[in-house]
Amino acid sequence: MPFRVLSHTADTGIEATANTLGDLIGELCAGMFGLIGSAEPASAKKWVEVEVVAQGMEELVVDTLSELLYHSEVENLIFCAFRVSTGPKDFAARVKAGGVLVGAVEPVGPPIKAVTYHDLVVEQRDDVWFGRVYFDV
Amino acid sequence: MEYRRISDVVWELPATSGMAVPGRIFASEALMDLVRLEHASTQVGNVAHLPGIVKASFAMPDIHWGYGFPIGGVAATVVNEGGVVSPGGVGFDICCGVRLLASSFTEADFDSHKDAVMDNLDRRIPRGLGKGAIAEARLVPDVLARGAAAALDAGYGWEDDLEKCEERGTSAGADPSVISNRAVERGRGQLGSLGAGNHFLEVQVVDEIHDPAAASVFGLAEGMLVVMLHCGSRGLGHQTCTDQLRIMGPAMGRYDIALPDRQLACVPVNTPEGREYLGAMAASANFAWANRHILAHVAREAFADAFGVSPRATGMSLVFDVAHNLAKIETHEVGGRPKKLCVHRKGATRAFGPGHPDLPEDLIAVGQPVLVPGSMGTASWVLRGVSDNPAFASAAHGAGRVMSRKMAKKKESGQTVREQLQARGISVRAGSIRLLSEEAPYAYKDVDEVADVCARAGLAAKVARLRPVGVVKG
Repeated sequence: MPFRVLSHTADTGIEATANTLGDLIGELCAGMFGLIGSAEPASAKKWVEVEVVAQGMEELVVDTLSELLYHSEVENLIFCAFRVSTGPKDFAARVKAGGVLVGAVEPVGPPIKAVTYHDLVVEQRDDVWFGRVYFDV
Repeated sequence: MEYRRISDVVWELPATSGMAVPGRIFASEALMDLVRLEHASTQVGNVAHLPGIVKASFAMPDIHWGYGFPIGGVAATVVNEGGVVSPGGVGFDICCGVRLLASSFTEADFDSHKDAVMDNLDRRIPRGLGKGAIAEARLVPDVLARGAAAALDAGYGWEDDLEKCEERGTSAGADPSVISNRAVERGRGQLGSLGAGNHFLEVQVVDEIHDPAAASVFGLAEGMLVVMLHCGSRGLGHQTCTDQLRIMGPAMGRYDIALPDRQLACVPVNTPEGREYLGAMAASANFAWANRHILAHVAREAFADAFGVSPRATGMSLVFDVAHNLAKIETHEVGGRPKKLCVHRKGATRAFGPGHPDLPEDLIAVGQPVLVPGSMGTASWVLRGVSDNPAFASAAHGAGRVMSRKMAKKKESGQTVREQLQARGISVRAGSIRLLSEEAPYAYKDVDEVADVCARAGLAAKVARLRPVGVVKG
């Protein structure tokens, strides 16, 4: 289920739904990098792996996205493919993210400075996971 | 939220339900109509819950919706009475700010050398994603400790630049040891780079002088070509704020602090976490001062090369460099007594008035320059600090957005915006034409109105209006 871009006067945000927490995290990752530039998942050339253990659900999402943002910036990658697994602890996730070099992608938005806690939502509604996150650009 | 008008350009939200002080917005009727359309006024009320806050939760005329603090928010807490420091009151782009250079050139000079100047700037100013930086990574440790002074010692800029930079380009109390390896890694490839989004380098003309005496002291004259830079601490600052928020969130519980917005995370200044944040913030600020110092050096070289003169012969002296995302420990009068305050300015500019001892000697008589860039293609303003500023010596920082990036892109294409600017005689060099429309003039408030309200509210007085003739964007 693709992410939806939200309006914010100064910054930008996304929300997404998914059947599992892992899939939601994957959608939010795709959404965050989709705001910067898009590439087909099949074009991913370089892969990084991040492992996050957080204090809560919201922290898990923010910390995971922040980790990938850090890798993106220091390695000059735009990530476009994501394989997410959650557990074994309650608020833990492992993400394998594949990306392309920044120069290979046409920018569609400004670089993202940081992931914020502003209006952050990560929750299960009936059987569907819902997430909303805003970014400082 | 119900704001009541208490004077010509001042609106107040009475302190209720957990607010320690009222909210106070400086705005004309027209600007206040824009404020009511979004959430910024709610954020002013939320900030009023900060422990130790005094007088009011202020918002400048360019206020708009941020996260936690509104952009344009000013809040001061009493340091020795449990007052807090909040990274959200500074922002992720620590020490984002503006630098203005004068010159010996006129608009006619620019017109006859326009392509050479703009092509040189385009080539020499790194901006956008992954486009590198001017200075070597090995300078970063010294820059974190000493700011612009480190950049000067590495061969960038002129010695007299330091005197005309807030804090003389070196934030006191910097603690590089609390800057994470992650932040350093993000900053290593970005020292001397503009960034993107609303960051820019503009070539402008001094179009109107409103205060001839102050303009003369600032080194400005009608018809003079000037250069304005807007950027901050880049990825190093962004990561530092992220790192510190991660510490501060859990720490709040230990100090029994609960606030209506998580992004207002804070701790008392006089705590290990508070001191660590201020040390990290100052080190990140040093990166920003150095960043703008280095970019100004390159701008001088670009002009020198285009005109076939030495950099000194360009006359591109520094008018001033201001920060608009910073928390500072300052002494202000509260209830008739001087108190040590932690003054947060998030999208707001320090505006010390005449007589302030922290100003350079030649500026003490007129007050500090306050640099207020408008949106791309509209005007910018040079204001000056005045006595009896009602908001802890603070003023606006820009035009303030009125439209989301999503809507701005839908309204016009980047190509159309570029054509519109060029039709008005503004030469554009953009890293991404597609993204230009996000920064179009229609996405921002009327900066003339913002400057006017600053003057009417006693925040800062008008000195000069600047008109753009060249824009360099990421």
